[in-house]
Amino acid sequence: MKWKKLGKIFDPTEHKLPNNCFEFAQSPQALVFDNFVRIYFSTREKDKTGKYLSHISFVDFDKDFQTILNVSVNTVIPLGELGCFDEHGIFPINVVRDKDKILAYTTGWNRKVSVSADASIGLAISNDNGTTFRRSGPGPVLTATLNEPFLVCDGFVAIFENVYHMWYIFGTEWTTATKEEAPDRVYKISHAVSSDGINWQKEEGKRIIPDKLDAQECQALPTVIRHGDTYHMYFCYRHATGFRKNKERGYRVGYAYSRDLINWTRDDENAGIACSKEGWDSDMMCYPCIFKCDDKVYLLYNGNEFGRWGFGIAVLEH
Amino acid sequence: MFKWEKLGQLFNPATQNGSSWMHEYAQAPSVVVFNDFVRVFFSSRPAPENGQYVSRLGYIDLKRDDLFEIINICKDPILPLGELGTFDEFGTYPASVIKTGTEIRAYYAGWTRCESVPFNAAIGLAISNDNGETFHKPGQGPVIPYTLDEPFVMGSPKIRRFNDTWYLWYSAGKKWIANDGKPQPVYKIRMAASGDGIHWTKIGRDLINDVLEENECQASADVFFYEGKYHMFFSYRYNLGYRETGRGYNIGYAVSDDLLTWKRNDQRAGITVSESGWDSESVSYPFVFELDNTIYMLHQGNEIGRYGFGLAKLKSYNQ
Repeated sequence: MKWKKLGKIFDPTEHKLPNNCFEFAQSPQALVFDNFVRIYFSTREKDKTGKYLSHISFVDFDKDFQTILNVSVNTVIPLGELGCFDEHGIFPINVVRDKDKILAYTTGWNRKVSVSADASIGLAISNDNGTTFRRSGPGPVLTATLNEPFLVCDGFVAIFENVYHMWYIFGTEWTTATKEEAPDRVYKISHAVSSDGINWQKEEGKRIIPDKLDAQECQALPTVIRHGDTYHMYFCYRHATGFRKNKERGYRVGYAYSRDLINWTRDDENAGIACSKEGWDSDMMCYPCIFKCDDKVYLLYNGNEFGRWGFGIAVLEH
Repeated sequence: MFKWEKLGQLFNPATQNGSSWMHEYAQAPSVVVFNDFVRVFFSSRPAPENGQYVSRLGYIDLKRDDLFEIINICKDPILPLGELGTFDEFGTYPASVIKTGTEIRAYYAGWTRCESVPFNAAIGLAISNDNGETFHKPGQGPVIPYTLDEPFVMGSPKIRRFNDTWYLWYSAGKKWIANDGKPQPVYKIRMAASGDGIHWTKIGRDLINDVLEENECQASADVFFYEGKYHMFFSYRYNLGYRETGRGYNIGYAVSDDLLTWKRNDQRAGITVSESGWDSESVSYPFVFELDNTIYMLHQGNEIGRYGFGLAKLKSYNQ
């Protein structure tokens, strides 16, 4: 794989966003229309306690990703009610066309006491071309089970041969580098299938991508595309601790491929994309989303500070 | 119509002068019968820290031919709390036990603490291979997941097996009432079925209609088969102000032929609060069991089991 970076294309601080959001445009996810491409992202407001709430917004681009046609001015999907899994944020949202409907798999966040938060994956449906989404219920469709005890999130769904596939991550442990620091989480990529997109079968704690850094490697945001007879997965990975300030421990883009959707070969060296020497994506690269548009393959991703200053795009050269 | 004769308070942890973790509360009694004794599992609590409780699972053994004679009290909690960030980090309450082969399984509600609401709960599984003296967990997560229409607060599991099928009754949270910054959950009785007790199919609807109010809270549905019908004894209360007289838990009743359709008729429960004493304000968490041709009900009393549980005996039943 070889990618050509087209640069940063969206900076959230240059636009007025709904829900008092002012920074962050994280985990860009594309939905292709006839004449434009809608890119959803998670942006943030600060609540009255000073903590962040993540909200979904979108921006519409022309198909060259040169011109912004529209930025959402209204709420795309409200946060969950009191006590619900998605009360304190939705990040990310994965948007999938399914016949005449647009499905959204949301990662909802709720704050806890001994650890910062937990997360589960919800389902919402749009009947207005993706302008707004309505959740299918107050609870999640994929969440903690016996061998996936917490932090079930980052769902990415693709439909191949009438089977819904979801790649997602689940938490394996909360860890602390030092007693003074708040616990950090460890999570791994897994896979579930469904015949209706609602009822999912997990493989209960199965990890499909081997670790490269160490046993506490954090793997996040899998995104999968079929190209010929091969399935390609991009994801991001980092160290479990010290990843916020130390760029050597921060997010990188990883890559794996599969021919049967069961066995994956990790091959980061052939990802064909990495951090730039300088600029907006020089410290880290994270939250990739791969998609096709008019016979070209694109990769959306975030750069430094987890997407605080926006996202960029790359196009597959070969 | 059932008619129960109350035999009185059977166990109060505060008067046992025992372990610090069994300071107060003996909640949700659940029984496994052995040759010479009856082991009653229940959840107890140490004194609160910063006003917050942690519930732990334990047991006492009662002499089989005189249930009011306590012959043994477990020394330590028999089920460990969950690891950092897991669903049962801050408590295991209540638990429902069942013997299967040489195992005893406990289905229990695990408690975690949240920011916008005080807690969340989910149902876990623990297994004992030493007659219930210690339990281990097959995994760190819950055995019944939250789903689209069961978003949170899954609690008060009750496990039973009928005709080789496992049934789990539980409470599922419907909504949180904000209540001026002291949120209170509303929960209703639901059911799941399983061939192995691990993989569950939820039936996905509330089983018991409300009688008090739309926000009535329902819990601890204990089902047993008797005289050709399935009988459910459960707890119900008002959503708010439940520490006031008349608004706390009482024992309700419903009957079914097929375990799916239930006809509620609380008057037929045949047991309610006493005029005075340890269970004069509230009765709840019924557990019905048969022992040596007598049918008994264990139940907790005032303040949701703070002063332990008592025993009643079935005097008569007629349809």
